Amino acid sequence: MDIRIVDYESTSAAGVNIATLREAIQTQSSGLRLNDFPGSPLNTWIGRVSEVDDIQLGPWQSRNNALAALGLEQGTIKETMARLIKRFSSARIGLVMGSSTSSIDRTETAYTELNQEGRLAESYQQPLVHNPSAPSLFVAHYIGITGPALTINTACSSSAKVFATATRWLNSGIVDAVLVGGVDTLCLSVLHGFDSLQLVSPNPCKPFDQNREGINLGEAAGYAVLMRPEDAETDLDLALSGYGESSDAYHMSHPHPDGLGAQLSMTQALTMSGLGASAIGYINLHGTSSRANDLIEGQLIERLFPKTTQCSSTKAWMGHTLGAAGITEGLIALDVLQTNIIPGSMNLDNLDEQLRLSIQAENKVAEVDHVMSNSFGFGGNNCTLLFSRVDNKDKGAV
Amino acid sequence: MSSNSFSCNVIGLGAWGDYCDSWGGLAELLKSNEVVPEKVAGPKPQIIPANERRRAPLPVRLAVESSWQASQMAKVDPKELSCVFVSGFGDTQLTDYMCKVLAGDSKELSPTKFHNSVHNAAAGYWTISTGCEKAANSVAGFENSVSVTLLEGMIQCVEENKPILLTFFDAPVSQVLTDIMGPGDSFACSIVIVPESFASQSDYTKKITATLELANCEWPALNVCSDVIKASYTNNPSARVIPLLELLVGESGSNTIELPLSEQTALSVRVD
Repeated sequence: MDIRIVDYESTSAAGVNIATLREAIQTQSSGLRLNDFPGSPLNTWIGRVSEVDDIQLGPWQSRNNALAALGLEQGTIKETMARLIKRFSSARIGLVMGSSTSSIDRTETAYTELNQEGRLAESYQQPLVHNPSAPSLFVAHYIGITGPALTINTACSSSAKVFATATRWLNSGIVDAVLVGGVDTLCLSVLHGFDSLQLVSPNPCKPFDQNREGINLGEAAGYAVLMRPEDAETDLDLALSGYGESSDAYHMSHPHPDGLGAQLSMTQALTMSGLGASAIGYINLHGTSSRANDLIEGQLIERLFPKTTQCSSTKAWMGHTLGAAGITEGLIALDVLQTNIIPGSMNLDNLDEQLRLSIQAENKVAEVDHVMSNSFGFGGNNCTLLFSRVDNKDKGAV
Repeated sequence: MSSNSFSCNVIGLGAWGDYCDSWGGLAELLKSNEVVPEKVAGPKPQIIPANERRRAPLPVRLAVESSWQASQMAKVDPKELSCVFVSGFGDTQLTDYMCKVLAGDSKELSPTKFHNSVHNAAAGYWTISTGCEKAANSVAGFENSVSVTLLEGMIQCVEENKPILLTFFDAPVSQVLTDIMGPGDSFACSIVIVPESFASQSDYTKKITATLELANCEWPALNVCSDVIKASYTNNPSARVIPLLELLVGESGSNTIELPLSEQTALSVRVD
């Protein structure tokens, strides 16, 4: 398969846009900080995007929508979308957003300010915000997309799956371009929810390290503009070349002990792309830094890929951004095709003694043609994305 | 490029609501004004293992029971079904629980309630209970949840040439959120759709064709007179599948309906 990426942007604690994220990766500068999220006394580290704090959106107000808006203001996403809307009409543009929190942050705040009758105060009477589809409602409004719009909420695989849905929509011909995105923000639900599962680390996360203590939560927004190759007018030589979607059928919050569902999603993506495991030059692992995920995912990578396949988890840069992790890390993998810099697994001192992987803390310089990104979510929901460098010289790109 | 139309076959249906415990029961309410609706309790899907069933919230039980019925009618092993679950509201009772705890001092959440609060809890319980390792999606589309899920599911069925389970479900809204969402009610409906070439063992087959149109339309008026169905259609975003169900039971007087999809698009659905 071949779906072109004509523009992309990423906003997280590691960088407000893709340019600053690249710099943070090159210099191995983490955006994590000691938890200072208002109202949460948890002893942990978080990836907070401070620029969001002051954004005002009136009736659309929520932290999640503010981060979605901040992300859309980066790079050339708005210009690209305006050009495509002019070229195809707004009704021929699709929108697929992924999120796990949607705007639950706003509902949490509303509950702290209920009126005397125990009802929502007037400023919180926001039907378009307090619902699981809030991200696609807001982004459609902000960009002016009037074609089909959908929000995918499959926990931490949400914004990886947006690429699969967009691919199907493009291949079916119902739209001419799709804006895909993911946005999730820090809120009390996720901080204290993951704490209730005893998954939150008191220190900066150390994915795949023998002494890892758990996850750091983060927030992020990411976007990509996808098109069929014959329509894509772009200098970028980047394509989505495969995806895999599967279920663990095992447990709501614990991964399958043998990584069965994860294996299915990776092998599906490879099959769809027509590539063998040895063709993959870099794998951005889900690598949450939890005991269970990293061991199971690492053992699976050992079984499926050559020992030389470079892999890393980049969560020590911005934390686990949950429903935004799929696109954030998919774009980090994709960007390797542009920068030829393979991010290391920052904070890794001693690899888990049960694992034998080509993974190290330092970045590596290498030209690779195919990269993979894994995202696994609660409910045993898995998605794998495969991106490839393509030759677009002969198609008259502008 | 390919056309804006997709066809597939409906081979199984399931339903549960405040006044029906099966697709057959719902079809009766859609077909006849003579049926006196009787209130039914929430489902206890036997497919969910007993210890998990006790912890499964109402929206999950509605979705899983209705999904199970549809797969049984379709005579398809649930393991073979990729699925798309949609709820317009999400689980507002759990939202209410979480927000109340978090507005207090302790902020100690139940880990089970936390993992049940993900929007894909129903898809998770379904795939875990049935051993299904296929792609499971969980989506939301506010007032257009039904139409956008039909579109997503039918395209997935046609583009990936595989059978798909679509489950639409929503439950009564927690008190605090009723001011903006309305009261809601219990309603779930599941539809198994398959590619036209699929070797179906089901006794039931109806071809549906969806066409994307550049149009701005309203949700259609129902033909039924049943007050409980009309109330559900008004109060429950997932019950907006009812106009399609009317076509399937042949009570619509026409074989085509037009459903709003987005600000400038509509989904025209034809049943043959």
